[in-house]
Amino acid sequence: MWSTPNVAPEPVDPRQAARVLRRAARFARPYRRSAALAVVFVTMSTATTLIGPLLVRWAIDDGVLAGERSVLAVAVVLYLAIAAVAYLGSRQQYLYVNLAGESFLRDLRIRLFRHLQRQSIDFHDRNKAGVLVSRMTADIESMSELVQWGLLQFVSAALLLTLSFGVLGVLSWQLLIVVLLMFPIIIVASIRFQRDSRLAYLAVRERVGDNLSSLQEGIAGVRVIQAYGREDVQRERFEVSNRALYASHLHSVKVSTWYFGLVEFIGVFATGVVIAVGGWLVSNGQMSVGTVIAVVLLLSSLFEPVQQLSQLYNTVQSSTASLKKIFSILDTEPSVSEASDAVELASRGDLEATGIGFAYRGSARRALDAVSVEIPAGQRLALVGPTGAGKSTLAKLLARLYDPDEGQIRFGGVDLRSATVASLRDRIVVVSQEGFLFSGTVADNIALARPEATRDEIRGALGALGILERLEALPDGLDTEVRERGSRLSAGERQLVSLARVALVDPAVLILDEATSSLDPGTEALIEAALEALMVDRSVVIVAHRLSTVRRADRIAVIDLIDGVGGIVESGSHDELVSFGGRYAALWDAWAASATDSI
Amino acid sequence: MLWRLLVRQRAALALAIAVGLVWTAAKVAVPQLTRLAVDRGISVGDSVGWWAGLIIVAGVITGVFTATRRYLAFRESRLTETRLREQLFNHILSLHVGYHDRAQTGQLMSRSSSDLNQIQAFVVMIPLTVSNIALIMAVIVVMVLTDPLLALVALAPLPFVNWTARRFSQRIHPAVLAVQAEQAQLATVVEESIAGVRVVKGFGAEEVMNARLETEAGDIARVSLDAAALRATYLPLLELLPTLAVVGVLGVGGMQVLNGSLSVGALVAFSFYVALLIWPLRTIAMTVAFAQRAAAALIRVHEVLGAVPAVVDPTDPVPLPPGRAAEIRFEAVEFGYGSEPVLRGLDLHIEAGSSVAIVGATGSGKSTIARLLLRFYDPEHGSIRLGGVDVRDLRLADLRRSVGVVFEDTLLFSDTVAANIAFASPDADLDTIRAAARLAGADEFIGELADGYDTLLGERGYSLSGGQRQRIAIARAIVADPRVLVLDDATSAVDPTKEHEIRDAMRSVMADRTTLIIAHRPATIALAQRVLLLDDGHIVAAGTDEELRRSSARYREVIAAMDDADDARVDQSGAETGWS
Repeated sequence: MWSTPNVAPEPVDPRQAARVLRRAARFARPYRRSAALAVVFVTMSTATTLIGPLLVRWAIDDGVLAGERSVLAVAVVLYLAIAAVAYLGSRQQYLYVNLAGESFLRDLRIRLFRHLQRQSIDFHDRNKAGVLVSRMTADIESMSELVQWGLLQFVSAALLLTLSFGVLGVLSWQLLIVVLLMFPIIIVASIRFQRDSRLAYLAVRERVGDNLSSLQEGIAGVRVIQAYGREDVQRERFEVSNRALYASHLHSVKVSTWYFGLVEFIGVFATGVVIAVGGWLVSNGQMSVGTVIAVVLLLSSLFEPVQQLSQLYNTVQSSTASLKKIFSILDTEPSVSEASDAVELASRGDLEATGIGFAYRGSARRALDAVSVEIPAGQRLALVGPTGAGKSTLAKLLARLYDPDEGQIRFGGVDLRSATVASLRDRIVVVSQEGFLFSGTVADNIALARPEATRDEIRGALGALGILERLEALPDGLDTEVRERGSRLSAGERQLVSLARVALVDPAVLILDEATSSLDPGTEALIEAALEALMVDRSVVIVAHRLSTVRRADRIAVIDLIDGVGGIVESGSHDELVSFGGRYAALWDAWAASATDSI
Repeated sequence: MLWRLLVRQRAALALAIAVGLVWTAAKVAVPQLTRLAVDRGISVGDSVGWWAGLIIVAGVITGVFTATRRYLAFRESRLTETRLREQLFNHILSLHVGYHDRAQTGQLMSRSSSDLNQIQAFVVMIPLTVSNIALIMAVIVVMVLTDPLLALVALAPLPFVNWTARRFSQRIHPAVLAVQAEQAQLATVVEESIAGVRVVKGFGAEEVMNARLETEAGDIARVSLDAAALRATYLPLLELLPTLAVVGVLGVGGMQVLNGSLSVGALVAFSFYVALLIWPLRTIAMTVAFAQRAAAALIRVHEVLGAVPAVVDPTDPVPLPPGRAAEIRFEAVEFGYGSEPVLRGLDLHIEAGSSVAIVGATGSGKSTIARLLLRFYDPEHGSIRLGGVDVRDLRLADLRRSVGVVFEDTLLFSDTVAANIAFASPDADLDTIRAAARLAGADEFIGELADGYDTLLGERGYSLSGGQRQRIAIARAIVADPRVLVLDDATSAVDPTKEHEIRDAMRSVMADRTTLIIAHRPATIALAQRVLLLDDGHIVAAGTDEELRRSSARYREVIAAMDDADDARVDQSGAETGWS
């Protein structure tokens, strides 16, 4: 009636799991004292669970049935003491295991994030942002279950099971055999249940995802749906996914239903059998009444750990799967890194690229070949050419977001690969037009590269760009919270903030990818003026989209594909290139003919 | 609302409750049978097997009935949830666009997912709670009847179990929410620094980000430990309290056995009863917390279901006069989204079969005209007529079937390319779909997709570029075969080389329809026969593009502003002039 779940689980084989867990244990080494204390307290509280039935046996056999009031009294007092110890032990075990676990998770988060931050751009090109985010969030969170109670439960269940069998064996070998005969049923059932319920759970999760995306589509697309009168079709589609979700829920209930019934039955059944066999032994004089009662009381300590352990298996599975993914990131070395004998770049200098060849990792096509270009200090170079020819790639190489495969890029005569990363990021800055902001205040965002900058320095940088008034006019001035991705500011304001960020760094070279979309009309003039102010006395490389920008450049390099590989086909000043009559001249003519540029 | 659904499921719920009560009876019987087995069997040396057999029978009953109760409870609660979700989705789809402008997608999503889950979590507890209450009552009665004093000793610590459990779930809930909130904050830092990795790298701001993350990671650890401290306080207490009852029973009951006023079996039975009561007491405490959360969720769900659709079918719908194209007439239309009016007395007439472009500055209300024509909103004053009929007198389905819109932002659904194109008429055959795609300049790139027209699109499918999506949307409108075509910046993202082709094709599509073009760029104006300039909420000038360029200074201004925005595309139009 319902489709069987066809989601394949990804089991981690035991040897791999052991390796992964051992490595995780090394991470947790700083907290071994807390962990050890947790184990001590777990042992303490588990042991007390078993002493209870033994005290009951003693109280009944040697106290109540023997007519010894004093024995009963002592047993009661001891039982109270045991209860107090159990209480304290289990309280402390929670505290210590969580202290160790949460510290471990915190360190793992920090370590993984630092590692991600060290990775170069090509790593981020290769990996989807969503996947990286889920490594840092969902994957680490999936371990918190294990950390919070999983490990604790594992120790306590294993201990309880072993000790219970031991005590049972001491009390009566006959009843031990009786219980052992029933045990395989509960073990097999638990394993099967865990397997089926895991599959059912995965199926439910998938259906929930389907249902949510169908829901989301309906809500986000309500305008199109209404415009085309598609409500009925959409309702039907939703109903299908909703019913599928219901069916998978029902399936998962069915999977668990028999198990819970069975567990309940086995518990009572075992009681009945123990009483029958025990009663017979008592009547034969081979056993005391107290022993039968103690064994009945012990039964729950035998069956519960099995259920817990099998449940734990799933937790361990998903945690090791997450850990594996996390470790594989930690094992990736960054491709752009600082040389051990790196030098500081001079504060000003010429930027030159010679014989650059480059291909993106994982791409067979070479993006650039034999590109040489020079930007003397304080000059402006415009890169023009069709989309996809390699303008932006060249710009990124000039900022060392990637390293070229061939050739060299030098600033003030020093190869960028032998410069310190800090000085490189101070000298050469990429100005992003999208105005990417981080949550925090406007001032935080401006001081991104120099968190130590004083308020006066920030105001100075803003003043130099002529945008101080505009940003101080925000609701809380420079202390305005920009919210997530700067959503509280307009697109134009976000661009102003990102320009101010650059001004505060005071770089020697600006790499500028010109906006392809129209700017916010309210701030456009302000942005243009700020950008001009920013470019004064600096070398500038512009990936140009507007011919009015190109015209203001000192030199222009035309980049186009030659046999499918990007290269410079023409370069020179605007006047030189126009009179040269090549590709640039053709573009200029086409543009002049349409003559709609208002500048 | 929930009540009505529960009444609909009353038979199954009643069965679940009845099953639960049988379970209660069997559960209560087990300690009694144990007592009898000990007193009449073991101690006396009688037929212990008989009692043991009865215990096993009780075990079978509890096993079968616990499973049945569980199954019924979950089945019915999931059914309630499923039906509510369907109801909610249907209602959301029928709500007017004005409602959706204000409501956030995320909120409506959580109404239909997490809020319904909380209601389900409560419904599932109903049969369980009833049988648990019955169990507690039965046990109390049995205990008191057996020995009132011992009953008092055994029961005394137990109300505290309930109290502690309730207190715990009240206090742990905000602690868990705090952990989730901190996790969300950490996720924000991670998302930002990964999405903004170029900025972070470009400015060498890695350490700033690291410091932020360390703060967040530290916060998570701190609030998690707060939650752990709560668990450490309450959970051991929940184990301690029943133990106190067991010890009390052993002490007091043991004395009574010694005095001869109680049997050993009864002593054992009392210990069993104490154990039996622990879970019901704890789950009842949970039920109280669940009920509170479910009530809050229900109120939120009800808010959505209680919203009345503002745009609905008329009681006496008028059919649209037959024919191909239909004329459009706006008369003295006034409309605003908030307090600020957007259209102030707009008069507009588009003859059947003609094409008109509306030109206006950003925010002038161009797109609003299209939305009013579709009845996404109703005007505050004035009227809008299609083919001579006020749009409010038409059935919504009739109106919207005769008006086909291509929006600027194209939403594709998780379905095949073909199904996305056949959006308005799901029965369209592939030939119709392909013909439309060809006209929209989409056939070529669809052919290059791995599965052609069967390629899956949308969230989990293949993602198309902005221009490709727009071409799909145009094909969608062509398949809808509407009498009125509305193009709202429909080709803004299309590659200029393609745009030419599409524009030619559009002319043939427009041939026997009335067309309204919302022009955001000068290039699209050329498609229309007539141009209307919208300014200050009404039409201020009309004529051809040429006439207006000559006669209206405002028109020149608006066009110049559009050009400016369009200038950014010069690099791509370079490609158009044979550059690459």
